[in-house]
Amino acid sequence: MSELVTIYIDGQPYEVPKGANLVDVAKFYADNGIPVFCYHPKMEPVGMCRMCLVELGTIMRDRDSGEVITGENGEPQVRWFPKLQTACTTTVTDGMVVRTNTDAVIEARDDMIEFLLTSHPLDCPICDKGGECPLQNLTMAHGPGRSVFYWEDKVRLAKHVPLGELIYLDRERCIQCARCTRFQDEIVGDDVLAFHERGRELQIITVSDPPFDTYFSGNTTDICPVGALTTADFRFEARPWELKDIASLDVYGPEGANISLSTRLDRDAGGIVIIKRVMPRQNEAVNEIWISDKTRFGHHHTRAAERLTKPKVRVGDRLVEAEWDHALEVIRKHIKPNVSVGAIAGPTLSNEDLWELRKLAQAVNAGAKLSIYPATMTGGDIIAQVGVGVGTNFKDMGSGTTIVVVASDIEEEAPIWYLRTKVAGDRGAKILVLNARETRLDHYAADSIRYDYGAAVSAVNDLAKHEAVTNAENLVLICGAEGMTLEQHGELMNACANLLVSTGHVGRPNNGLLAVWEGANVQGAFDVGFSTEATAEMMAKVPDLLFIAGCDPIGESAEAAGLSKAKFIVVNSLFDTPTTAVADVVLPSQSFAERDGTFTSGERRVQRFYPAQGVIGQSQTDWRIFASIRNGLNGSAVQRLTAGVFKELAGEIAAYEGLTYPALAVVERQFPDVGGDDLYYGGTAYQNNGGLGVQYPATSEAEGAKPSKFATKGKKTSYKGLTAIPVNRLYDRGYLFKYSDELMQQRIGEPFVVINPADAANIAGGSRVGVTIDGVQYEALAVVSEDAPKGFVLMPKRLTSQPGPFAPAAIETIEVIAEPVGA
Amino acid sequence: MFSGFWMTIKHAFMDRPTISYPEERRPVHERFKGRHALKRYDNGLEKCIGCSLCAAACPADAIWVEAAENTDDERYSPGERYAKTYEINMLRCIFCGYCEDACPTEAIVLEHEYQLSFTNRRDAIYTKDMLIDNPPEGREGTPQTVEPGAFDRSIPDMENPK
Amino acid sequence: MVEERLILLRDKEIPDINNYDVYVKNGGFDALRKCVSDHSPADVIQIVIDSNLRGRGGAGFSTGRKWSFIPKDHPVKYVAVNADESEPGTFKDRQILENNPYQLLEGSLICAYSIQATAIYIYCRGEFWDLAHDLEACIEKLHKENLAGENILGSGWSCPIYVHLGAGAYICGEESAMLSSLQGLLGQPRVRPPFPTQVGGGLYYEPTVVNNVETLANVPWIINNGADAYLAIGTPESPGTKIFCMSGHIQNPGNYEVPLGTTIGDLIELAGGGQNGKKLKALLPSGASGPVLPLTDEVLNAPCTYEALASLGSTLGSASFIFMDEDTDMVWATHRMMEFFKHESCGKCTPCREGTHWLKALMDRVLAGDATESDVERLEVVSIQMAGKSLCALNDFAINPVLSTLKHFRSEYDAYLNGEGAKAASKKPVPAKA
Repeated sequence: MSELVTIYIDGQPYEVPKGANLVDVAKFYADNGIPVFCYHPKMEPVGMCRMCLVELGTIMRDRDSGEVITGENGEPQVRWFPKLQTACTTTVTDGMVVRTNTDAVIEARDDMIEFLLTSHPLDCPICDKGGECPLQNLTMAHGPGRSVFYWEDKVRLAKHVPLGELIYLDRERCIQCARCTRFQDEIVGDDVLAFHERGRELQIITVSDPPFDTYFSGNTTDICPVGALTTADFRFEARPWELKDIASLDVYGPEGANISLSTRLDRDAGGIVIIKRVMPRQNEAVNEIWISDKTRFGHHHTRAAERLTKPKVRVGDRLVEAEWDHALEVIRKHIKPNVSVGAIAGPTLSNEDLWELRKLAQAVNAGAKLSIYPATMTGGDIIAQVGVGVGTNFKDMGSGTTIVVVASDIEEEAPIWYLRTKVAGDRGAKILVLNARETRLDHYAADSIRYDYGAAVSAVNDLAKHEAVTNAENLVLICGAEGMTLEQHGELMNACANLLVSTGHVGRPNNGLLAVWEGANVQGAFDVGFSTEATAEMMAKVPDLLFIAGCDPIGESAEAAGLSKAKFIVVNSLFDTPTTAVADVVLPSQSFAERDGTFTSGERRVQRFYPAQGVIGQSQTDWRIFASIRNGLNGSAVQRLTAGVFKELAGEIAAYEGLTYPALAVVERQFPDVGGDDLYYGGTAYQNNGGLGVQYPATSEAEGAKPSKFATKGKKTSYKGLTAIPVNRLYDRGYLFKYSDELMQQRIGEPFVVINPADAANIAGGSRVGVTIDGVQYEALAVVSEDAPKGFVLMPKRLTSQPGPFAPAAIETIEVIAEPVGA
Repeated sequence: MFSGFWMTIKHAFMDRPTISYPEERRPVHERFKGRHALKRYDNGLEKCIGCSLCAAACPADAIWVEAAENTDDERYSPGERYAKTYEINMLRCIFCGYCEDACPTEAIVLEHEYQLSFTNRRDAIYTKDMLIDNPPEGREGTPQTVEPGAFDRSIPDMENPK
Repeated sequence: MVEERLILLRDKEIPDINNYDVYVKNGGFDALRKCVSDHSPADVIQIVIDSNLRGRGGAGFSTGRKWSFIPKDHPVKYVAVNADESEPGTFKDRQILENNPYQLLEGSLICAYSIQATAIYIYCRGEFWDLAHDLEACIEKLHKENLAGENILGSGWSCPIYVHLGAGAYICGEESAMLSSLQGLLGQPRVRPPFPTQVGGGLYYEPTVVNNVETLANVPWIINNGADAYLAIGTPESPGTKIFCMSGHIQNPGNYEVPLGTTIGDLIELAGGGQNGKKLKALLPSGASGPVLPLTDEVLNAPCTYEALASLGSTLGSASFIFMDEDTDMVWATHRMMEFFKHESCGKCTPCREGTHWLKALMDRVLAGDATESDVERLEVVSIQMAGKSLCALNDFAINPVLSTLKHFRSEYDAYLNGEGAKAASKKPVPAKA
């Protein structure tokens, strides 16, 4: 977008980037909203709806001299196209002349609206889109206000067609703009939607089994310009104008997806304000206008019936409900000076919570262990050194950029990064996938490099000679931890950092390292001084006093069972979990929706979220709970506001220096303009009113910084016998997502293991098997497939209520419990 | 002075303009806007589709609607959607009738009842049970169980818009 | 009386020309051999440009110029032969494919040679499946004879030929929809530019020449006899011969190949005049898609050229002449055509998808005798609403029959409005035998 050209829209000249789309530039530079239905700024134009017809011409120039030919009155002569042209399929060139306000254009818009409405039902009063519907709005703005057609001749089609459990299709409302099919095809790469039939019978169908099988289906309802696609989650929950929108953040992934919580009072929820739906909030540097279905539909835990409403205190072998004062008193009494202390922070604790937890733990014992759960990945400090440069944006990556994904099934672990990597690949970026098994991203990869589990480090070291790396102008490494112990992952992070430093791809935008953290604020936890190594140490040597907040280690991870041996355990939790069951005091904390705070994304972007939902019971914000305990211990001062805690934190943590809440809330105009009143253009994604966040610089970006090399031992681990490899699945029964409504439960599915055919001699696919690891039997459905490398069994984490292994583990036996149904 | 007496005597024998309310009540005009009623169709189903347009039109923010989806086993209204919660706060209502104008199915009508008094604020909130008309003679109320597929439109058919 | 001039329908003279040996004995593949040995690709394009051969698919664009648009140094280029002959009343390509397939294949190969194409795809309409199978046998023969496939005639140029069957969609006769269908996508027209001849617009987004069967079948003759010989036939603007598919109420329906510029009256005479001696009333010069012409003296004396028919307010199109005699109910015929277009609209663009639906619905009313004066006006309103607003031409084709019959046969509509339509409805045109 460097070269500028001059175009004339309705007589006014504008300087716009050459080659840009006419609809985009008319809107952004001339504030001229050319109405569109099928065109979407994120997708290739198709020119189907014919709503954007304009008069188009070019200023005539003399063929030889290049001089502008002027008419008798000195005005430049314009060569007009004989027919109206679609603006959406037009890219701007110098001297282009556009008219959007002539009779012919207005008439054409009238005609198109009339045609669309003749086949569209008049059920706006009950339509979930009613009130934020592009068709409604454009009808008001451009419609003829009458129709010459017969009401009786209108088509009548099926009103309620489920496209999978999450999305409903109303065939009558569909205006065949193909935005949904093109989104699935062009942007996600799951072409699970298609057109069926032709002409007036043209209709959307799903061609996958299970239907509409994708992690991004909810986005189609945002970009649908009518109410044809609506979510089952929000169906008839409220009218859009009744909702209040609060800026917030995704709590599940490391991408830091910006969301907007649409909230309303609800009688059934006891008259508090609850989240009615989750919508994407535009942040072109983070998630553009897309969010995964987990982010969109995984909000039910915030008001689940299982939420804790009062503190609980252990009396004998029972936990009984108690008042706050009493619970805090019990904790105060049990804390002896200088006992060994450990704090375990879950991935959804905000930076403020982490700061107060650190202060509390260190107030008890300066040598307190500050640890992160889950302890599967490490290297937050490496990210702080050689993480992606400030200004990194997947949107800018294309030809010349190489994106390497190592040891991660990124579609399952960070779906927004998956989507943006895939789209960058479509723009010409080279994608390299290094993994021990095939993942979905391999389909878009320029090269897929397979290594054996345990040999990831040498695979990364070999990359230095890979043509896609040596020729790369920009290089981004995305590092996961599949099939690794914590130690092995540390090695891998070192190897990745080493590759980047040795090839000079650090310290500038669109270069550097990303870690696929398991959770929304793992980077923040590292920054505040927590580490996963501390977790490992703590599991080996359990401290006397343990604070656990925002996670359920004992319920999820087999390795964490020993933690229950701590003498006194305080757990902040949203729910009763196996971890709270071994606690001495359980304190009800608040979900992200009830409070404010900041998360630091995997790209080191510190972003704010705001209180949206009414508080459940007597629950309190985690940081306030820790501060109250600390205050009870030594009487030290407590901040009144979250902003105050952040200010204190920013004063102490070097990387956060200078960050303030107002700075995080700054919003700039983004291209393309999405959100606001012009729903027809970008869909119902929200305009960003909560702040774009601030990406703090990695240390390698400092002027004159010379990042040192990272040493790796390059030791390979080889496995003998069958080994279980824990893998991440997007939809799991983790601490929060477990409490999704039944719609999501169907998608989570039952526990399964993937076994290579060579290892499954006596096991038929579809049978129930018992996998014994370390004396514990895990029951699961057997999937026999080449997806699992020979000698390894893929075991998705957190699919059962049984705590499973989080690191590779030797399998003792696999026995068939039940043959496949129908066999 | 005499003219004053005359006036008094004349009025003593004139028809009395006052009535002994509440035993007697004055008739109201046909278009009088009193308490709301939620109407039903002849088959007993509710006209209200829970679209919340009345609430949107209400200048006093007196109406609260929460909607839910009909099923063939539990059908409240002929379309897809019905009002699960329908409440009018009579303390807030200014009886302007905008809700009636906004209603796409003519479900809410301001009728002639005007005796609205309460002893506490909560009683002033009229719930759906209080507002809805009784089912027509011989017809069951809602929810009804209906033949699957008997109602396949999202809202009941409206007149040909001319 | 005019006589046929057989360049394409040589099977009328040489019965077994669909046999390889017979074809070769009658000069077959001489043109291809001559091209490969004597002419550079650019020469071949120049000869075709000089001959002013115009596309026979309907648009009448200069074939040679189209070939010259292909970027010379692009590594992958294709020739796509449009054999999706679906225009109602058109059956010329079918006769070529059936009876003179080698001439088409030779023409395609010359075209492919001239642009140095890497493959030829022949897209046959779904109903041509038996023809497609026969064609495959012919192609196999060519591969065997080193006239197609690897290293053709030792020139170092390789070009395999593939046949692909459509699934029965009229819209796939539109070049960009055909390319989409060939690629396995939904048969819907694409946005142009990029045009098929440009990078990004053709088959698999590579530069592609898309030509009609009849167009390519002309090419061997032009190479053999030279551009000047070709120019000597027909008129200067529309040179060469053209196959006219005569059907409807004509005594001897069938394909007639005559030089362009022959008058419509002469053509009718050639085909034996109206069926059973009846007077002919109307002509659909381009199947269902062109405006209907009343057979007035002006029309009868008009030469069949692209220009002359355009000046009459119609189009030569694919020259599928459907005749209707004096007993034909034009309203009924228009209704049939609307049904056809409604059924065949791909549904991509709003005006066509909705417009054809409403035109059909309104014609239903007219035919049922329920229509009022305003409905007939409405037909016109809808047509104007649709006109010129779609991606491809189907939308504009669809309104042609309505607008032209309203213009020329308004009285028949009035009969329906007055309740006299039912009587007229008993008169129906006899479907043509191909």
